[in-house]
Amino acid sequence: MSDPRKLPQILYIEDSDETRSLVRRLLSHKYVVLEAADPLDGLQLAEETHPSLILVDQSLPHMTGSEAATRLRKMLPNTPIVIISADLSTGARERALAAGAVGFITKPIDDDFVEQVDAYLNGKVEILEDAEKHLQAYQQELVERLEGNIRQLSNTVAKNKHLLQQNERMFSMLERRHKLLETAARVGQMATSILDLDELLKHTANIICSEFSFYYSGIFLVSEDGQWAILRAGYALAGRKMMAENYRLHVDEKSMIGNSIIQQQAKIALDVAGEESRFKNPFLPNTRSEMALPLIVQSHALGALTVQSAQLNAFTEEDITSLQAMADQIAIAINNAQLMFKLEVATSELVRTKTFEAIATATGEAIHWVGNKAAPIPGSVRRVREDLLYILALAAQLNESDAKNESLAAAVQTVREEAEAQGIDLKQVLVEMSAMKKNRLQALVSVESLMEDLDIAENSAVTILSIKEGLIGPARQRNDSSVSLSEMITNTVASMGLPDGVVELEWANDMPNVFVDARQVEQVFNNLIKNSWEAMGQTSSPKIFVKGVRDANPNFVLVTVKDTGPGIPKEIQEKIWVSFFTTKGGSGGTGLGLSSVMQIVNQHGGSISLESEVGKGAMFLVRLPVVK
Amino acid sequence: MTTVLLVDDEKLILRSLEKTLLRAGFDVITASDCKSGSEIFAQNLETINIAVLDLNMPSFDGTPKTGAGLDLLADLKKQKSSVPVVILTAYDEVTKAKESVSGGASAFFVKGREQGLVELIQKILQVTE
Repeated sequence: MSDPRKLPQILYIEDSDETRSLVRRLLSHKYVVLEAADPLDGLQLAEETHPSLILVDQSLPHMTGSEAATRLRKMLPNTPIVIISADLSTGARERALAAGAVGFITKPIDDDFVEQVDAYLNGKVEILEDAEKHLQAYQQELVERLEGNIRQLSNTVAKNKHLLQQNERMFSMLERRHKLLETAARVGQMATSILDLDELLKHTANIICSEFSFYYSGIFLVSEDGQWAILRAGYALAGRKMMAENYRLHVDEKSMIGNSIIQQQAKIALDVAGEESRFKNPFLPNTRSEMALPLIVQSHALGALTVQSAQLNAFTEEDITSLQAMADQIAIAINNAQLMFKLEVATSELVRTKTFEAIATATGEAIHWVGNKAAPIPGSVRRVREDLLYILALAAQLNESDAKNESLAAAVQTVREEAEAQGIDLKQVLVEMSAMKKNRLQALVSVESLMEDLDIAENSAVTILSIKEGLIGPARQRNDSSVSLSEMITNTVASMGLPDGVVELEWANDMPNVFVDARQVEQVFNNLIKNSWEAMGQTSSPKIFVKGVRDANPNFVLVTVKDTGPGIPKEIQEKIWVSFFTTKGGSGGTGLGLSSVMQIVNQHGGSISLESEVGKGAMFLVRLPVVK
Repeated sequence: MTTVLLVDDEKLILRSLEKTLLRAGFDVITASDCKSGSEIFAQNLETINIAVLDLNMPSFDGTPKTGAGLDLLADLKKQKSSVPVVILTAYDEVTKAKESVSGGASAFFVKGREQGLVELIQKILQVTE
């Protein structure tokens, strides 16, 4: 093998790996074959190595073999260049030679290839006749190719621009979809937080317009009789004007709103000029496209949402889907708000009824109670009057001369005179008295009985007057402080003087102090324990259990007062809280105890309730707020 | 001598009526609820000429009851059907008291003018005799 450094160098520019390896095999035993797959690499390699011969394939990326030949020729004017080409058409060979090649070898590469290469290396130069003509043809070819390149480039530019636009559109679509979803979420969130229906609808209409720059948005609700779609919220000035005019549409085929409600389907007009079922609204002259989305809950259309744009074709599929999703959420919110409203109405009716009932009961009980308490007064007074007459008659019997002094004598005189002035015939009374049996008369002038009757009248009057304290007591100003209920109730029980062992106290270790008016709350427990004790008048082993724990709601302390008495019948469990209602009769209840207990507990922000069954005792549950 | 059984749970009313009846010349036996009323009646079956019962008071089981007086009325009538009974009532319960008449009471009396009760008792006993 000869020294490769002394072998001639041939540069071969060809993009096909297969052809390159074929040529390498054919030539490498006698030449050093430099290879380039790309004409630009080839040009660089040629400049660096100054090969003895350059073989260039005609069909190459970036430029043709001829163009490469022209450039190589300029760069290395003395190096022979041979073009290898599969183009057998007329003029192909000549154009290649015109480009600057010394030879033209046709493909496929066959047996005489090496010989041809040898010949060109040894100085063979093909002669080009009529060179001027072929040069022109070559230049024409060049121009055409350049034009083609430019066309391709501008196509690419156009294509890029199109892609860019598409990307931009996609991006803005994504952005819009994101915004829609965000808005839908906002509406959804709002729907759960705003229970006032009008507020919710107003916000929704505003958000739809402000977030999507729509011309107008409004929400209609179907009237109770189903005949009308009544505008309940509308965007901006047009909305306010329409609201002021009680804007409404018949639920029929004549309007998009009516249609969407009847068919429970979204109605979309991308160009309102072509929409026959669209009602032309004088308040919204600029509307160009419009949609009506039904508000449906449980396959019942509550109303419809209208969205209007001043542009044609304003709504994309995305918009419609997102806005319908939003409409569905609004529908649910409207339904909730309506249910809440109905519930509130029902509740306030109930409260009213209950209040009237309570007032009626209280009034009835008050009349009954006062009547009962006052009943003994006239009888007692009448007896006192009778007794007084008899005693006065006796007094008038005193002989003035018997009187020990002048004053007494004057007093006897006064009794006689004033009795006469009152039309009382004391002498006649005395006659009646003389006719009575001794013990009967003694009974009539009994000082003890006289005093007792005065006591009866006084006690009755005092009891009636004590109502005032019962009614006003809880209304007094409170003086709240941190109070230990266990301490307070323990002291209260001790001061009540109930028999030993009746009251059992039990306190949880973690029971916090409460924030209350000590005096008033003491009265509450005093009252409850006293009630329990009095209710057990006929109970064989009376017991009162007072228990304090931290309530399940940690902001409260729960104290229960439970007795083993007869219990409170279901039918009066409600009544016991009413003023003047009493079950105690003769034991002197004012009927204000539990009503003022409840008032005090409620005023402290606490609550009181009763659990009782006849025969199983009664338990009062008092909850009071923990000190903060 | 006429003996009246007087049953009422209002202490002051009971005492005041008792005094009025005593003054009018009646003997008076008192009780303050259904149970003791029934027991005392049983003990003095022959002595008691007439019973005056409050409408609302503790019933036989000791719990306060509207119309408990009607229960005692039935109980007394069971013990001695001939005994005349007057039901005492507040003036706002007259309807209920009227029902008592169909339940066997001779009359009802609205609390207040005690002398009226004396007259009522005298009238009833005259008719009975």
